[in-house]
Amino acid sequence: MPAPRFEQLLRRLQAGVATLEGPELRYGFVNEQMQVLVGANAEGRTLTEQPGLLPTALLEVLPKVYEAGTPYTARACACGPAADGPDRRYFDVMVDPYADEAGEPAGLLLLAVDVSEQEATRQRAHELALTTRQLDARLRVLTETAPLFTYTMSPEGEVTYVSPQWYRFTGQPETADLTAIWPLLVHPDDRLRVLFESDTARRTGTGWNYEYRLRRYDGQYRWMLSRALPEVHPPDQPVAWHGALTEVHLQRELSEARRRGEAELRFLADSIPELVWTTSAEGLVEYYNHYTKSYSGLTTEELGPTGWVGLLYPEEQAAAARRWVQSVASGEDFEGEYRLRRADGVYRWHTIRARRLNDGSGPRWFGAGSDVEEQHRLRQVLQTQYDELARAHHNLDTFVYAASHDLRQPTLNLRGLFEELSRSVRFTDPEQALMLRMVDTALTHLDGTLADLAATVQTQRQQQEPVEVLDLALGLEEILLGLRPQIVLQGASVEIDVQEAPGLLYSRANFRSVVHNLVSNALKFAHPMRPPQVLLRSYLTAQGQPVLEVRDNGLGMHVDDPHNPAFRLFSRQHTEVEGTGVGLYLVQRIVTSQGGHVEADSTPGVGTTFRVFWAAPTGLE
Amino acid sequence: MKHIVYLSRAVRPMTDTDLQALLDQSRHDNVRHGITGVLFYSHGNIAQLFEGPAEMVDPLFDRISRDGRHSHVRKLVDTPIAARSFPTWSMAFHPLEPSGFTALENFLLPHQLPPLPPSLTIADALLVELVQLAVFGPDPTQPFEHRHSDPPRTLDA
Repeated sequence: MPAPRFEQLLRRLQAGVATLEGPELRYGFVNEQMQVLVGANAEGRTLTEQPGLLPTALLEVLPKVYEAGTPYTARACACGPAADGPDRRYFDVMVDPYADEAGEPAGLLLLAVDVSEQEATRQRAHELALTTRQLDARLRVLTETAPLFTYTMSPEGEVTYVSPQWYRFTGQPETADLTAIWPLLVHPDDRLRVLFESDTARRTGTGWNYEYRLRRYDGQYRWMLSRALPEVHPPDQPVAWHGALTEVHLQRELSEARRRGEAELRFLADSIPELVWTTSAEGLVEYYNHYTKSYSGLTTEELGPTGWVGLLYPEEQAAAARRWVQSVASGEDFEGEYRLRRADGVYRWHTIRARRLNDGSGPRWFGAGSDVEEQHRLRQVLQTQYDELARAHHNLDTFVYAASHDLRQPTLNLRGLFEELSRSVRFTDPEQALMLRMVDTALTHLDGTLADLAATVQTQRQQQEPVEVLDLALGLEEILLGLRPQIVLQGASVEIDVQEAPGLLYSRANFRSVVHNLVSNALKFAHPMRPPQVLLRSYLTAQGQPVLEVRDNGLGMHVDDPHNPAFRLFSRQHTEVEGTGVGLYLVQRIVTSQGGHVEADSTPGVGTTFRVFWAAPTGLE
Repeated sequence: MKHIVYLSRAVRPMTDTDLQALLDQSRHDNVRHGITGVLFYSHGNIAQLFEGPAEMVDPLFDRISRDGRHSHVRKLVDTPIAARSFPTWSMAFHPLEPSGFTALENFLLPHQLPPLPPSLTIADALLVELVQLAVFGPDPTQPFEHRHSDPPRTLDA
């Protein structure tokens, strides 16, 4: 047995120590650590009486070890209550048989070392290895099924790995020497560039990103995009470059075609003498054609993305800018006429149009400006001429009005003098009486013409008269009242029928002029063989247009006689009847000025029907 | 004096605090160099105008175009100017959290942008308006979803 001091050390040893004495394996010495395993008061008891936390397997082995007399070690022996509980501990248990002085087996020395930590670590490592294997498998499946090829290159430029797709694409056998063969599969025109770029990247420790043509199994070269990044574990140099190779042949051909299309478009735009430009979706100009630059005398840089607005007439710039922002925001076409400054400082009128189009690479604005200076100038000349004409016309009207007014008084005086003369002077010659009558007729005629002329000018000035809703029955009666002497004289009968359309929205004065003229015409051009019959009928057309019909049984006329048009000033169809030729012209002018028109049907010898369409058909105004 | 305007795309979406940090950084870095301007941000779209002495503006644009936080940097204008149009730094964006917006300093909502100063030429004002439109969309009161097809191309090669 150990000396007391030594025993003390053993008791505090960080490993369990116990002796099992005799064939019955009775606990002899049990230190503190071992008491955790077998219990506090095991000393003196047998193993079977107090197995403690020792696993069954070990309990079965121990008697055999005693008999055999050979040492035994159980590694990571699980001790504890629950099978996989949290307080489960693992021990390396070493069993050493010892003999007494006589050399006979006397007992077992048990040494238990707690290896729970190591065991947990080992198990974690195991699980990690499993996960890694799964990840590895997944990575492999992914890299080998993805449409892109993956590869690894060493810092020395040796290709150490390419995914199977590469072999399938190039048709190379799996035994091919990758490092030697891959540059040969690159298109000769791209080879030096690719080798240089990859060498440079490896030397500087950066990644690469370039496109080249790679020969396919069928001998065709296809555009590929190669990108790679270095694998770095600082502070060391990169250990490898991992990369991917993607086929971009179609995209490349497409963008090539687009580039070609763009170049053709540019060529066209640059060769025409019109202002042409394109802008991005944001409305910022990216391209001005050659003509724009030569017209403005500025470069693309000087014009800038919005510099075109500075070419406009200063007062028009702000409005044009607002209009453009609005177009860009809403997508509406931009259109307007603006003066643009030429390189020599002269402003010329241009029609500017811009429209948003989608050309496959997103929306863009296409703009064009045409020089309309000549048209503009022509328009200005026309406008000036029109203004002059209108002024002359007005002056003429004024003159006619003034003249007719001024002439009426002398005419009246003349008439008075003439009447006085015919009363006081005796004529003996009967021819002279006839002459007197002729002078009288001429004077009456002159007075009538002057009055009509004044009325014509007057009505032209009244065209902006206020309109009101007229009661037709009342209005017509009023007019007929004014014509009563003539009606009575001629024994005429006038019938009014306004049941269909009893009201009319029109200027009262204009209405009076029109009806008065038409009715007095009907009376004036009555047939000598029969008393006049006049029918005034108001009705609506199918379109709701109000119409006044004036039908008479008078002389009638040739409506479509080109030599004697009914509605022209001073044109007279019946020279045998008194008249000034102003009436119908007046009616026509009034009605057309209000958007309406006048129609006439007539049969010579039978009668005439005038239809006054007061307004334009509804919906057309 | 000169100014530069550019458009770009953020590499990853920026949060309200990212933007506050960006504005603070711009302000601190640039106040010493006499650079001022305005920044628009919405849904990853960035537009910026900055102005100052040419010897400061050019190196700043160099740094900006190399900044890894954004890509597709498109310089739109790089011209001399007579006077500043944005004497203080400001920034306009659609806040992710509208409630916290008032707490942020010198920020503007896109539809609350003041009218552009008359010191800008009409061409430059038009450019800034188009750039705002590109970032915020036609209705600045509403966050704008962009349709991005191809990355922008430079045409005049």
